[in-house]
Amino acid sequence: MDESGFEEVDHTADWALRARGRDLADLCRQAAKGMIRLTGAEVGSEPTLTWEPDIWAADAESLLVRWLEEVLFRMESQQLAVREMDLSTEAGPRLRGKVALGPLLRLGKAIKAVTYHGLKVHCDRRGCEATIVFDV
Amino acid sequence: MMRKADLLRRGPDEWEIPTSHRADMRVPVRLFADDDLLEAAMGDASLEQAVNAATLPGLVSHVTVMPDVHQGYGFPIGGVAATRLPDGIISPGAIGYDINCGVRLLASRVRLDQVRAKIPDVASALYANCPSGVGVKGSVPLTSKELDRVCHEGARWAERSGYAQAGDLEATEEQGCIDRGDPNAVSSRAKERGRPQLGTLGAGNHFIEVDVVDRVFHPEAADAMGLEVGALVVQIHCGSRGFGHQVCSDYVHEFQDAVARYGIRLPDRELVCAPLSSPEGARYMGAMAAAANYAFANRQILAAHARRSFEEALRGVVRDASLYQVYDIAHNMGKIEVHQVAGESVRVCVHRKGATRAFGPGFEGLPPRYRSFGQPVLVPGSMGTASWVLLGTQGSMELSFGSTCHGAGRRMSRHQAKRSVRGDRLRAEMEAGGIAVRAGSLPGLAEEAPQAYKDVDAVVDVVCRVGIATKVAGLRPVAVVKG
Repeated sequence: MDESGFEEVDHTADWALRARGRDLADLCRQAAKGMIRLTGAEVGSEPTLTWEPDIWAADAESLLVRWLEEVLFRMESQQLAVREMDLSTEAGPRLRGKVALGPLLRLGKAIKAVTYHGLKVHCDRRGCEATIVFDV
Repeated sequence: MMRKADLLRRGPDEWEIPTSHRADMRVPVRLFADDDLLEAAMGDASLEQAVNAATLPGLVSHVTVMPDVHQGYGFPIGGVAATRLPDGIISPGAIGYDINCGVRLLASRVRLDQVRAKIPDVASALYANCPSGVGVKGSVPLTSKELDRVCHEGARWAERSGYAQAGDLEATEEQGCIDRGDPNAVSSRAKERGRPQLGTLGAGNHFIEVDVVDRVFHPEAADAMGLEVGALVVQIHCGSRGFGHQVCSDYVHEFQDAVARYGIRLPDRELVCAPLSSPEGARYMGAMAAAANYAFANRQILAAHARRSFEEALRGVVRDASLYQVYDIAHNMGKIEVHQVAGESVRVCVHRKGATRAFGPGFEGLPPRYRSFGQPVLVPGSMGTASWVLLGTQGSMELSFGSTCHGAGRRMSRHQAKRSVRGDRLRAEMEAGGIAVRAGSLPGLAEEAPQAYKDVDAVVDVVCRVGIATKVAGLRPVAVVKG
């Protein structure tokens, strides 16, 4: 995996994803992209809605889980999927930004939940990395 | 990764990981497995997860691991742990996101040889009448008030709404309703997810299967259950849908702080927990009961749809296409029960995640016709292979907190299964083998290929040899419906 991106990791029953970003905000972006790829979601171009997430958490791991849950909730309950993301983080940690959502045309596979199992966000001068296990 | 040398052999199919294995273990781990199943269990992180579970506060005795164990998240799938009331803990992650995922078995007097040519029609009717697949809306629109009633009443709500027939509730674990289901302990988001999904099967490993009773091992018990060799039965495997998933997610978040408040140290954040006597623990118990009741209602509604499907597809072919409920079991649940621990009766919360309650003969909560035999236990195999009807035993009360296995157990990741099996080929092979397949997703079908699972017969042989269940009947699939 390059400096920024994601890849699926084998897990016996569920799905696991390793994501890497230039910083915590980019990690959240890459993890969302990877999760959406795992679900096989297809998103339409029109109409586009703007969502402005503002998520607080006690630590980086909780922030990542909460952010991914928000993305999943919009897919399952509102039939909306992420098209583009502009995210930033600040101390707290807190995630804010602008997310363009389009209509969810197709969802290949449902994710029940984002878990904390073995979750640790590792950040160093090269960026941030985490492996997230999803219950499917 | 665990090594065989880390385990002590207690018997031909029984192993122990002693507390000396890791300093933070409070109790040992006991695993039921033959040599092959043990090797499979050591092939992933199952046993490390069981060791992590053995660090939970308030455990009264060993953590039990079933032969169908596989790696989950936090707590292994196929694990059982009992914590003492009132100061022991409850852990949402040790119950699972799909609260009260379970299996219902319906029996019929329809003989396969009478209706063989109509099985594809039965499969099509089930697929049409039982909403399944990703993002599919349910067949039972609910108002907020009605959803709250489902949280309180479970399958009784479904009965009141015309989705049950006489005898269904009696033949359901807890009669289809856990007391003290509390909709006020459930978030608005969980309700938003759950409201449109009642009466749906979902996707993943959930299914409806038509089987034929292939072999009977315990004629008296089979007779009491209405299981006759050559007759058709229906299995329904599903749970609490997005409602239960959100309840678990909400409390896993909430308990991240609770562990700090109560000074609980854990090796994995997915195992977060709170004392049963704490306000947080009590709220989760209420929310979990609400989700369990949602699942009981869900399977009850799907049973009504299955009955309608049999009637529609077999009208004019057989005189009696009725489906009678054999039993309905939960295999992801936390239950307050009384068990004997070191010769004392102790009230405990038994966490079963991918494990089935298996109470022995004499249990008062069983319908009178089953009481002298023990509780029916339903063990679905992997798609296209055998399933089993078992009975709980006195042995399960002594060895595993009245619990036994729940299925075949995965041995291959979903990714690996998709790489090695093509959904269209698998469907063709199953159809050629006499199994009608209706599936919304071919990649989803490939993920659930029989090769991805352990041998359910070997799993059942182990639990019967160690004495935590006994065989009643073996089932063979003739139609599979998946989302």
